Amino acid sequence: MLGYTLKRLGLAVVIVSLAMAILFVMIYLIPGDPAAVALGPRATEAMRESLRVKMGLDQPVWVQFWNFFTRAWTGDLGNEVLSDRPVAQVVMEQLPHTLALIAGGMVWSVALGIPLGCWAAVKRGSWADRVVGIVSVAVIAVPSFVVAIYALLIFAVTLRWLPAIGAGDAGDLGDRLTHLILPSLAVGLGWVGYIARMVRASMLEVLEAQHIRTARAFGLPETMITYRYALTIAILPTVTLLGVGIGQMLSSAVFAEIVFARPGVGKLVYDAILTRNYPLVTGAVLVTTVLFVLINLLADLLIGALDPRVRSRF
Amino acid sequence: MTNYLPGDLSRRSFLAAMGAFGAASMAVPRMALSQDGTVLTVRSYSDLQVLDPAYRLSLPEDDIIRSIFAPLVIPQPGDVWGWKPVAVDSIEQLDDTTVAFTLKDNIGFTDGYGQMTADDVKFSIERMADPANESPYAGDWAALKEVEVKDRLSGLIHLKNKFVPLWTTTLPTPAACILSRKAMEEMGDKITTEPVAQSGQYLLADWQPKQKTILRRNPDWAHEPGGYEEIHIIPIEDPATAERGFEAGDLDYTWTSVSSLPRLKENPPAGAVVLEKPSLAYVWLGLNQDNPALQDIRIRRAIQHAIDRQTVVDAAYFGAAGVANGIIAPGLPGSRDAVTYDYDPDKARALLAEAGAEGLTVTLDILNQSERLTAAQVIQANLADVGINCEIKQNDSGTFWTLGSKDGDYFMDLQLVLSRFSMQPDPSWASVWFTPEQVGVWNWERFDNAEYKALHDQGLVEDAFAARDEIYKKMQALMDESGCYVFLTHEVVGAIHRDTVQPGLKPNGESLYSEFKPA
Repeated sequence: MLGYTLKRLGLAVVIVSLAMAILFVMIYLIPGDPAAVALGPRATEAMRESLRVKMGLDQPVWVQFWNFFTRAWTGDLGNEVLSDRPVAQVVMEQLPHTLALIAGGMVWSVALGIPLGCWAAVKRGSWADRVVGIVSVAVIAVPSFVVAIYALLIFAVTLRWLPAIGAGDAGDLGDRLTHLILPSLAVGLGWVGYIARMVRASMLEVLEAQHIRTARAFGLPETMITYRYALTIAILPTVTLLGVGIGQMLSSAVFAEIVFARPGVGKLVYDAILTRNYPLVTGAVLVTTVLFVLINLLADLLIGALDPRVRSRF
Repeated sequence: MTNYLPGDLSRRSFLAAMGAFGAASMAVPRMALSQDGTVLTVRSYSDLQVLDPAYRLSLPEDDIIRSIFAPLVIPQPGDVWGWKPVAVDSIEQLDDTTVAFTLKDNIGFTDGYGQMTADDVKFSIERMADPANESPYAGDWAALKEVEVKDRLSGLIHLKNKFVPLWTTTLPTPAACILSRKAMEEMGDKITTEPVAQSGQYLLADWQPKQKTILRRNPDWAHEPGGYEEIHIIPIEDPATAERGFEAGDLDYTWTSVSSLPRLKENPPAGAVVLEKPSLAYVWLGLNQDNPALQDIRIRRAIQHAIDRQTVVDAAYFGAAGVANGIIAPGLPGSRDAVTYDYDPDKARALLAEAGAEGLTVTLDILNQSERLTAAQVIQANLADVGINCEIKQNDSGTFWTLGSKDGDYFMDLQLVLSRFSMQPDPSWASVWFTPEQVGVWNWERFDNAEYKALHDQGLVEDAFAARDEIYKKMQALMDESGCYVFLTHEVVGAIHRDTVQPGLKPNGESLYSEFKPA
C-alpha cells in the first residue's frame, strides 16, 4: 500500500506542477492591462506604471514564471493587488463556502442517486426502472445554472420558503444550512443522475454474482442482500466517480455562486479575472487545483484500500 | 436491529419529525428585513476593497466612505442636484478663489483620536491633492492652493484659480471626507479594508468579504442620526440576481437592470415601489479617426447618417431609455435637444459612394453585456442597409477597457466601439475625456481638436449657466462635425425599494446610505 500511495503522491505533484505552468501561460495570454483595469479611468500613467512594477509585470516573462512557481511551492501566494491583503487569506475566507456547497451537492447526489440506482436495479425492467432511467438522463442533461434559476424562482421568489441570496449569518448554523439548500441542489442534481446510472449498472452486475445467489439460497431478506452484500461491492466504481464529480461540481459552483450571490472561490476567480487581479486568480486557481488533485488522490487511495486488485496493479 | 435513538423514538418517526420540522420552518413567511425599522438591507454591485477617500475604486465604496468618515457636505437627496452640510456648520464661497468653512463642534474620531478639527480638514484635502501621494482623485483638487487653518473649527480653502465644478463634483464627493491627521500619520499608509478613526453617522461594524458589509449607527454621533440601527450591504454583481433577492424578501433596496424596468413597473412586487431616475451616463458609438479605413471623414459621416439611433436605443433598452443628443445629460448646462446629423441612409450611401468605400468591412468592439450586444446588432443591421459589413467583437471588461489604450497593441486597429461612461453632475466631467491629452488614454476616437480643448478650459472657470450652456453645446457640435461620434442614450436608472423604506437617492438614482430612513 505504501508504494501505491507514494506513486499516487508523485503523480499528484506532477499534475499540480503542470497545472501551474498552464495557468501561468493562460494568464499571460489574456489580453488587457491589469493596472489600467484596476486603477480605473482617473489614474495617471505614473500610477499605472507603479502598479505594474508592484505586480512584477515589468519583469521578463521567465522571471515572472520562476517567481510564481517557486513562491507557490513555498505557500507564498503573494498579496492582492489593491487591498494588499494576503491572497492565501482571501482564498481561505472563501474556500469554506465552496467546500460547503460541494459537500451539500454531494449529499444531494449520494442521498438521492444511490437509493434510486439500487431501486432501479432491483426493479430491473419494470416501469420504476424506466422512470428512474428517464429522470436520470433528464437531470444529467439540465445545466446546473438552469436548475439554480428555476429552484430560486420556485422556492425563494414564488413560495418564499428559502432565501434567494447570500450564505447566511456567520455563527448561525441553521441559517447557513437554509442558505445552502437551493445552491447545493443546483450543484448536485446533475450528479444524482450520474450516480443512479452508475449504481444501477454496478448493482445489476453484482446481483448476478454467485455469492448473491448463495445468499438468496440461504433465505436472507432481499433488503439485506441488496444493501449489505450487493451495494457494498457495487459502490466501488461510484467512489471513483465521486472524485471526478467533485471537480465537476467545482465548475458548477461558479454558476450557483453567481445566481445565489453566494461567496465562494468560483465567484472570487470570476471577479478576479474580470479585474485582471492576477495574484488572486493564480492563488485561487492553484488552491482549487490542489484541492481537486487531493480529492482524487484520496479517492484513489480509498479505492486501493477497498480493492486489493487495484493495489496489485501498481 | 439495534436502535441507536433514545427512548421509543424509531428511525422512521425521527425522520418524520425532522421532515415536519423542516416543512414548518419553511412555511413561516419570510419578511422584509426593514419591517422592524432597525436593519436596512441593500445591494451594492461590488464588494469593498479600499476605504480610503483618496484611493477609492468604486461607487459602492464612495457610499460607505461617506457614511463612516464625515464629509464636509454630501449631495442633497431628491430630484434636484445640490448639497447639504454634514461635518460643517457653515461653508460658503467668499470669492472666486476662497471658501470659508466652520466645522460642527463635537464630531469625534473613534479609536481615541479625539475631536475633528480644521487641521484634519487641511490634512485630508491637501493629502488628496498632493501629486506625491498619487491619488487618482488629485484632479478633484487640482485648483487647490492650500487649506488655511483659522482656529480649531474653522478655516479657508484657497484655490489657485476659479474652479466652478468645486460645488458639484468635488465637495459633495468623498474628496471632502475628513480623516484624522494623527491616525493617518501613525498608520503611515492608505486605508484599505480596516478603517481607523471613523467619524461618520455610521461605523463599519463588520466586513465579511464577498458576503456582507455591516454599518452600525455611530453612538457618539451628536447630530442628525442615521435612519437605521444597521445597514447591511450585500455585494451582488448581477442585477437580475438582486431583483430576485428583492422579490424573495432578502433585500429592501436595489438597483434594477433597465431591461427589467418595464416588467417591474407594470407588475411591481407586493409592498414595493419601483423608481425610474434619469441617468447622467452616456452611451455612444465611437469611430477611430486614425484607423486607415475611417480616415476619410465622408465615411465617418456616412456611418453617422446610417444609424437609426431611436431604433438602437428602443431595442437595447426595451423602450425604457430615451435617445441622447450628446454627452451631457438633460438638466445640466450644455444639454442639447438635437444632434447635427440625422438618420438618412440615402445620404449615407451617397457619401460612401463619393468616398469610394462601397462594400466596406468594419469591426465593432463591444463589452459583453446583453444591452450592448442588442444595440450592436441593430447597428450592424443599419450598416448592412447602406452596404457596410460590420463584424461584432465582444470583449470581457478586462479586455474592453484597454482596447484604445496607447500602451496596448490594438488602439490603431480599433474601428468602431460602443462605449459608456458614467459622470458627475458637471459637464466638464463628460467633456474632459475627449480632449487631446486623452488621445490614446480614454479618447479612443483619437479626436484631436484644439478649439474643443480651449472651450473645455473655458468651461472650468465660467460659472454663468447660459455661458456654460453655450460652451458645452459648441463642444458637442465639434464632436458631431468630426464624424467620430454617434450619440445613443443617457440610459435610465431603475431602482426598487420596500414601501417601508424612504430611500435617500441622488437625482440620478445613486444611493446615499446615510440618507435612507424608515418611511
